[in-house]
Amino acid sequence: MSLTVARVEPSIAGVGDYIELMKPRVMSLVVFTALVGLLVAPGHVHPVIGLTALLCIAVGAGAAGALNMAFDADIDALMTRTAGRPIPRGRVTAGEAAGFGMTLAAFSVVTLGLLVNLVAALMLGFTILFYVVIYTMWLKRSTPQNIVIGGAAGALPPMIGWAAATGGIAVEPVLLFLIIFFWTPPHFWALSLYRAEDYARAGVPMLPVVAGDRETRRQILIYTLLLAPLGVTPWLLGYAGATYGLAAAAVGAVMIALALRVRVERNGHAASKQMFAFSILYLFLLFAMLLVDRMSGLVFGHFAL
Amino acid sequence: MTTVSDPVDDFTKRFMGEPPPPAGVKLTEQQLRARRARSIAIALALGAFVIVIFLVTIVRLGGNVLTRPM
Repeated sequence: MSLTVARVEPSIAGVGDYIELMKPRVMSLVVFTALVGLLVAPGHVHPVIGLTALLCIAVGAGAAGALNMAFDADIDALMTRTAGRPIPRGRVTAGEAAGFGMTLAAFSVVTLGLLVNLVAALMLGFTILFYVVIYTMWLKRSTPQNIVIGGAAGALPPMIGWAAATGGIAVEPVLLFLIIFFWTPPHFWALSLYRAEDYARAGVPMLPVVAGDRETRRQILIYTLLLAPLGVTPWLLGYAGATYGLAAAAVGAVMIALALRVRVERNGHAASKQMFAFSILYLFLLFAMLLVDRMSGLVFGHFAL
Repeated sequence: MTTVSDPVDDFTKRFMGEPPPPAGVKLTEQQLRARRARSIAIALALGAFVIVIFLVTIVRLGGNVLTRPM
């Protein structure tokens, strides 16, 4: 990587550039899954404490995004999808992004620890460290298993949300972690199938680049076959109602059908693109249904009393 | 021929006469606008941080905020 710290001209970076450094789209998914973790947890969280926890998690996710962009500026400049990011465009230097990311990381972790609880803060700190050091600095450039192991960072937010509400960890948030963990590989590999040239040019050893198209399609199917039943487990283990279970089974079946189409696809990438798009909807629907299930349980439980 | 400068004249020129050329970096209009926008964003973020600390303090302390020894 090249870390350009010195700048000849004073900065022209606007607020929008700094917001872009925080990867707002990734951040929105992180906040949503953390919100579900927070709300499905037993007990009552004061809204102000809950919102503070979510704010800290959002800022922590933004910090991880900025640090990732600071380190990956050389790769980003070579890929079409990322060439328009603030550092490759020359709006922000890598040094500025690193400083911004570290400041946000420190503020978010310390604030979560002081205002909410220590367990949640330690988990947030671990997540940022894992994403930046283990995934970005180490795995991303060295192994095709990068997004499998690195996916753990993206899977932790519901556990942080749960920890913010309860001060601990239980089986249910671990299930949510596992769902996102097994969702990440088919999601990213579907994308990397039609972005393989980009990754190859940047020297990132994504699965299609290293093991080929065919093996990637096989792995997508394997992970989806593991993911679909996992999505139903909150119902099977009694954490969610039958409505959730049936809906999770239905969207899981769609995921498997799409993965099968990706497996047999020979020409073009229509199925991969469809799989990538639907995988985002799948995760959103699963977590939204879990939230609706828990909220309706609370409402109906309240009226039954 | 040697010319001797008048010390009073020198002083006037140095300290009261033509202003020296501006030292340091001169920002362009775009750079000034960007810096102002960044400064406002930092001010808003700090303001929001203060409000969060205040609200959480009130929530955490609750009614106990009034029951301290005076």
